[in-house]
Amino acid sequence: MAPEHLKYTNQHEWVKVDGNVATVGITDHAQHALGDVTFVEMPKSGRQVAKGDEACAIESCKAAAGIYAPAGGTILEANQALQDDPSLVNTDCYGAGWVYKLKLSDPGELAGLMDAAQYEKFLAEQE
Amino acid sequence: MSCKTVLYDKHTALGGRLVDFHGWVLPVQYEGILAEHRHCRAAACLFDTCHMGQILICTSCPEAISLVLTQDAPGLQVGKAAYGFLLNEAGGIIDDTVLMRLGEKEFLLVVNAGTAEGDYRWVGEHLKSAAEIVNRSAEGWAKIDLQGPQAARILSPLTNVDLTQLGYFRVTTAKVCGKDCILSRTGYTGELGYEMFAPGDAIVEMFDAILSDRQARPAGLGARDSLRLEMCYPLHGQDIDPGTNPIEAGLGFFLKSQHDHIGSQAVRRIAAAGPGRRLVGFACETRRRCSTGDRIMHQGRQVGTVTSGAFSPSLEVSIGMGYVSADLAGPGQDLEIATDRAFIPAKLVEKPIYKQGTCRTKQLL
Repeated sequence: MAPEHLKYTNQHEWVKVDGNVATVGITDHAQHALGDVTFVEMPKSGRQVAKGDEACAIESCKAAAGIYAPAGGTILEANQALQDDPSLVNTDCYGAGWVYKLKLSDPGELAGLMDAAQYEKFLAEQE
Repeated sequence: MSCKTVLYDKHTALGGRLVDFHGWVLPVQYEGILAEHRHCRAAACLFDTCHMGQILICTSCPEAISLVLTQDAPGLQVGKAAYGFLLNEAGGIIDDTVLMRLGEKEFLLVVNAGTAEGDYRWVGEHLKSAAEIVNRSAEGWAKIDLQGPQAARILSPLTNVDLTQLGYFRVTTAKVCGKDCILSRTGYTGELGYEMFAPGDAIVEMFDAILSDRQARPAGLGARDSLRLEMCYPLHGQDIDPGTNPIEAGLGFFLKSQHDHIGSQAVRRIAAAGPGRRLVGFACETRRRCSTGDRIMHQGRQVGTVTSGAFSPSLEVSIGMGYVSADLAGPGQDLEIATDRAFIPAKLVEKPIYKQGTCRTKQLL
């Protein structure tokens, strides 16, 4: 089940909001679909992104995918632990496998995100 | 419409993630590509290879076979296997194959899934009355590969064959689990390993018996691909095809036949002139992936194209193969791979990329 305290995008990212800082990762559904993650691109701190921009890329044995910004803002930091061990995205996608933190320009841009129940319903409809 | 192999129910029961591969439903992975790859290098994995074509050729005139294949069929001893090609007149690779001599008059030709039908027709048309040709795959014959340093230890208790007497690229009739089969010490991973050819019901029994050994795990097409790429074994349809020839693919070593065969004049001509491009192996400086179709760059100029790319679990970087201008195709050459997302620095390496494969080991057990 998707954790209750997170918000979700229809690109299968999760977002944890803490004041004006958002932490972004990929969902369990996404990591399962990707398979073994072999590389996570580290977005540069200080980079400005607009809502919907590709913040960085994630790659597995089978595929490459973009991770998108759920709102506009400035990249604060990337999870450096993923450089040495990208498999954290598979083993702990909602915890140690977080990908980057974003300082939000306008937290109101997150209003359209799904909550856990909506995301589960969204997944069920995609089956 | 995809065909299910005789092992389809096993794959679903084992949690295999199924995909279509040249018209066959096969697992791309079970527990995960990386774990399966590493387990094959460290212990042993079992692969469903029922999709591969099995063509039985019976002839009292092996010279006829040497007209359509680059292998030296008359010179191949009973009990030996040889790698080689079906070529077109231009020297292009219609398919890469393994020819096994089962008896004085009996040969088994093992071919790729996507080309099996065409190969069967091609061989039939050219051999005409000189041989009796049987499409064994169409008669329900199946195949599994057990690959890894533990393969002989796992297989020994299940077979009547003394595996210490079965060297690399040797083949024999055998009993495995009490069932008749053809057993060869061959494979596509670079590890010590065996391929078993038998009717479907026997293969299902062997599959279960082998997996009852805790050291043997099932593996899918994903690991099979990264294992073969670490060894720089070409994949037909990707690294080689009718538009490429064995010389530029670096496979001239396998053109040993003294006989004239279809394409022999062309490949001699290409070898004498020297190919304009060569199939190289490369290792990237990072884990970032490259894939088929990516451009290979040198000083801002495209000098080649990637034919296969994968993450190498053994080297912990991304690796690949591709065709590069012959003047830049030497090991140690620095190049860049241009993907649609990044430029990845890479270095050409001596083939194989992975050098610790156990396929030729003499220490079996």
